[in-house]
Amino acid sequence: MTEYKMFEGCTIGNRIPFIEAASRKVFDKIGVQTSQAPFACCPDPTGVKSFDNTTWLALGARNLCLAEAEGKDIISLCNGCANTLRGVQHQLKHDSNKKEAINKELAKIGKEYKGSIDVKHFVDVLLSKLNAIKGGITKQMSDLKVACHPGCHYMRPVEWMDSDDPLRPKNLKEIVAASGANVVDYEELGLCCGNAVAGPFPEHGDAILKQKLDSIKKAGANCIVVNCPACFQRLDGEQRNLSKKFESEYNIPVLYVTELLALAMGVNSEEIGLKNHRTRRNTAIENL
Amino acid sequence: MALPVGIDFEFRKLIMDVHIGSDKIKYCYQCNRCTDNCPVASVANPFYENVFDPRLIVLGTLLGYKDVVMMLAGTKSAIIPWGCTVCDTCDTVCPQAIEVTEIIALAKNVTTGAGLAPDNIVAQAKTVFESGKAIPSQPAIERRREQLGLPGVVTPDVNEVQTLLKAVGADKKL
Repeated sequence: MTEYKMFEGCTIGNRIPFIEAASRKVFDKIGVQTSQAPFACCPDPTGVKSFDNTTWLALGARNLCLAEAEGKDIISLCNGCANTLRGVQHQLKHDSNKKEAINKELAKIGKEYKGSIDVKHFVDVLLSKLNAIKGGITKQMSDLKVACHPGCHYMRPVEWMDSDDPLRPKNLKEIVAASGANVVDYEELGLCCGNAVAGPFPEHGDAILKQKLDSIKKAGANCIVVNCPACFQRLDGEQRNLSKKFESEYNIPVLYVTELLALAMGVNSEEIGLKNHRTRRNTAIENL
Repeated sequence: MALPVGIDFEFRKLIMDVHIGSDKIKYCYQCNRCTDNCPVASVANPFYENVFDPRLIVLGTLLGYKDVVMMLAGTKSAIIPWGCTVCDTCDTVCPQAIEVTEIIALAKNVTTGAGLAPDNIVAQAKTVFESGKAIPSQPAIERRREQLGLPGVVTPDVNEVQTLLKAVGADKKL
């Protein structure tokens, strides 16, 4: 069996670890093996890359070196980490000057980037194990009407993500459908959650998130499923604020796709810390 | 406001080099598809007097107008270039396959060097420099991981991370 190096990332590992708990449960059930490594921050493709591209390349390449030393591919639980690690590979693969310059710096810590391993987003790994997923489902999921939000960095830019249709993504929908839940289509499927702009410009971030949530509400979804911790924090954490700010009601529970699968496979909500979500669970989820 | 119109050739070269081994940026014909599809541009008007416009950023940076970028980044509601939410939609819809987000990222890099980055961006870079992680480990979260039956997060060698980051000069921008 292939063993991946687990890249849980800063947000999941050190802020919302219940998502890692659900992911590890699902990986166990469908036969995805992982091991740990002393990875640093990926670093953030919207933060550190905007701060300094060379810093982003250097730290990203160091993380890749750790996996290369063991000859194992990385599995990322986060859109941002997957996007950074694949993006760093892309720049270093196609730009020999950059690769040479970064390797000169890496030599100072006794490392060399070769480009010998692959970085997988966990959604792509799940997609390759759809039969195992279907075989593990024990619950009746048909009360759930799910709006999928794969998030920008899972499928864009196609130059280095190369995973899904960049504007009409379908992979997450396929996984949700495999669980037996209903997938609800909505107009703003490809729209950003507004996370990066919300830092310096909260008004803009909120206005974008409102567009997204309005579109999900209009479609009649009773659950939102995501595969990115930044999007999760925006969609799960900001609904109450938006309700006050825009005098409208936003209370749609948000699940990580691995939480949805863990519940569908009969894992108890206590075991995966579902109580740590900000949005309240509704009966459709409570009844699982 | 009056904008300075000096051409900075170094800056221009930086932007021209965004596309590895290609000069496709020269073939931007300003069709505005990037701005038409930009989620920030679509909500920018009601809140600030200056509009967020990826098309104009491509034009301005391509012409080498570094001073204009710096001046706009230096104003109080500096949505250029920091309004970009890095959703990569513009790259996807560009008929010339120009990597607009990469161009905006480089413009951001230039303003960072001049101390014009938003506080949250600098704070994150500082935390990464100090702890190797954007979010450092905390006792409360460690306990929660234990309750959930998770292994501890393996921490990186901070000295190694700092040696590397100093080697690329990141500490000087903090």
